[in-house]
Amino acid sequence: MPNIYLDWASTAPPHIDILETALRAAAADPANPSSIHAGGKSARAVFEKARDGLAACLGTEPCKVFFTSGGSEADAIPILALLRRRRAGSIVLSAIEHPAAFEQALVLERFGWKVRIVKPGPNGILDPGALVQAVEQDTELVICMAVNNETGAIQPVARLAEALSGIAGKRPRLVCDAVQALGKIPFDPERLGVDCASFSAHKIGGPRGIGALYSRTPIESLMVGGGQERGVRPGTENLQGAVGFALASARSVNGLEESRLRARDLMERLLVGIRSISGALAMPPSRSPCDDRFSPWLASLSFPGLAAETTVRLMSDSGYFLSAGSACSSGKKERRVLDAMGIPEELSLASVRVSIGPATTTDEIDGALAAFDEIYHRYKT
Amino acid sequence: MDIIYLIKIGEIILKLGNRREFEDRLRYDLKRRLSGIPARIEISVGRYFLHTGEEHAPAVELILSRTPGVNGFAKAFKREKNMDEIAAAAVLAAREASDGGASSFKVESRRSDKSFPLDSYAISAAVGEIILEKVPALRVDVRNPDVVINVEIRDKAFIYGRVQVGQKGLPVGVSGKGLLLLSGGIDSPVAGWMMAKRGLSIEALYFHAYPYTSDEALGKVKRLAELVADYAGEVKLHVASFTEVQLAIKKRADESRTTLYMRGAMMRVAHRVAAMSGAHSIITGESLGQVASQTAENLRFTGSFTDLAILRPLVGIDKEDTIRMAKAIGTYETSILPFEDCCVLFSPRHPILKAVLDEERKAYDAMELDPLLDETILSMLTFRYGF
Repeated sequence: MPNIYLDWASTAPPHIDILETALRAAAADPANPSSIHAGGKSARAVFEKARDGLAACLGTEPCKVFFTSGGSEADAIPILALLRRRRAGSIVLSAIEHPAAFEQALVLERFGWKVRIVKPGPNGILDPGALVQAVEQDTELVICMAVNNETGAIQPVARLAEALSGIAGKRPRLVCDAVQALGKIPFDPERLGVDCASFSAHKIGGPRGIGALYSRTPIESLMVGGGQERGVRPGTENLQGAVGFALASARSVNGLEESRLRARDLMERLLVGIRSISGALAMPPSRSPCDDRFSPWLASLSFPGLAAETTVRLMSDSGYFLSAGSACSSGKKERRVLDAMGIPEELSLASVRVSIGPATTTDEIDGALAAFDEIYHRYKT
Repeated sequence: MDIIYLIKIGEIILKLGNRREFEDRLRYDLKRRLSGIPARIEISVGRYFLHTGEEHAPAVELILSRTPGVNGFAKAFKREKNMDEIAAAAVLAAREASDGGASSFKVESRRSDKSFPLDSYAISAAVGEIILEKVPALRVDVRNPDVVINVEIRDKAFIYGRVQVGQKGLPVGVSGKGLLLLSGGIDSPVAGWMMAKRGLSIEALYFHAYPYTSDEALGKVKRLAELVADYAGEVKLHVASFTEVQLAIKKRADESRTTLYMRGAMMRVAHRVAAMSGAHSIITGESLGQVASQTAENLRFTGSFTDLAILRPLVGIDKEDTIRMAKAIGTYETSILPFEDCCVLFSPRHPILKAVLDEERKAYDAMELDPLLDETILSMLTFRYGF
């Protein structure tokens, strides 16, 4: 039985040619990019070229791009940097953040920071007004992701940035996890007006172990060491990772319009198909098959009467790989994101995530729909 | 064979009528557990002696600490029956205790060989004096000593200090065989351990409901069976597939009764598996009132599916005490692994709390589950752990 991969939002199958090119580049320049000898300078040049490439994909200047070990670390850097402040203040946190941002932000509470959590509407989309309303005099950060990793809901980041600029007093920084946005929907941090944004290479077919942080202004990171990445992220530079990330982002960003339209068709096919399975529904139920408020790359689907883990298991047995919620939260019983939207437990605990990629085909979607239909009717309790 | 363990046995002594059988059981049980380790067991005048090599001490001690019927054990020095050798060994044992943190001691002597020239009191006094001289970190405290240095004069002299606590209870097998309903939870492994200590050999039965429960959950139950086997010596685990039964109950029964009937069906299968495996009792981890299915009325309902003794060692135990025991026997960490599924989708929102036996039995029988239960038993898989 062929294995059909519908879990691209967890990780995308890597572009083998990109991994090979990146590996060769790193092998050709084996010196430490921070060494001052000729070998080091040569490696540095390759590394900076990768930064230039990634910055170009993001529509920003290279000096605002910092390589990290991945999306989680990029999320953590601006949050943990607050611990350098003499006095604890507050942050505003959206209730639907990825755990890398959400759990990290909650750590601040232990250091005396106030964390105000703002829930989205029933459609999973945050209201910029509600976030701004939670801002107080001492608020340093507002944390709001670009695309939710469980529902695909696209968040109104540009409007939020604008609203934050309009408040009287000091403007808090806007930190945006854009891991599910880069290469999947247009995402331009400068134009959107975010202060920080985080990215991950392996979500777009690049290597694992490399991510990036965009920061409009310098960050005094909590972590110190050898001063690499201008002190924002110490540690010997991951040359292979950076080259691979730059290539993968170029490939996905350059082909974005075409791939997004294809994804839109596939997602429409999936969501129309789900509607024909009696009892099954998209999460949120208000999502229409061709709904531009959501990323076309992923959808949350609920099969009431069948636990998400059971659906994932049965689909896996049928050769279809998908997630119960986000892969990171598999095994946990709470469904924080769906709970925050006010989705009842019998729907949230029965929700699985289907995420597609550039290689997904209509046959695969049709096959998955048939499998869903069969499984749901056979095993629904 | 340079070290000897002196093994103390407990209740076996009390059961004089069956003493011989119990002794044979314990010796047989210990031998099986020790297979692969060069060791020799010798029984003499109500005492068990285990001879082994120093390099096997950790493995032997682990086995002794987990074998039901062993009250306690001590690593003993075996010496010729003369006071110089006895005193030298006592000093060694005292030093070991002192290094282990003891600061006070007393000496207790027993003389079953009455031809030995000193009586018990005189032996203790003489040995105590030498220990005081050679191990100055220790002082005498006859009322509440940190360590008792024991001297036993038998065919040889045996000297030992710290006594390690054993499982106590009865040797596995003297009470026959029990079928343990093992789930992936915290309670049932503890129940199995408790009944193994009451002399039951254990077979276990797990109801697997793939795909509603994962293969990881089955893996967890296998691991729990293995952990119970550390104490019970050997555990045969039967895995019965229950998916079809569960679906049929869901379809045929009133929602508030699904859990109750499922447990009834499990008990019926357990009764038959017990008969097949020669078990005369069924062991469960139920605790009165812990969940809806464990009220007295509902236990009566599930109990009505068998005439075998249902042993519920946790029936009056608080959950936190069960958790404490699970931690002590090493099953807790496995039991809490998150492989249980979201049972909310299968369990009734408002389960029946007080089943009226006749009514519920009638409704249960009307579901005609027996053909499905037959299939469950026919397709059962068996795994073996321990020894």
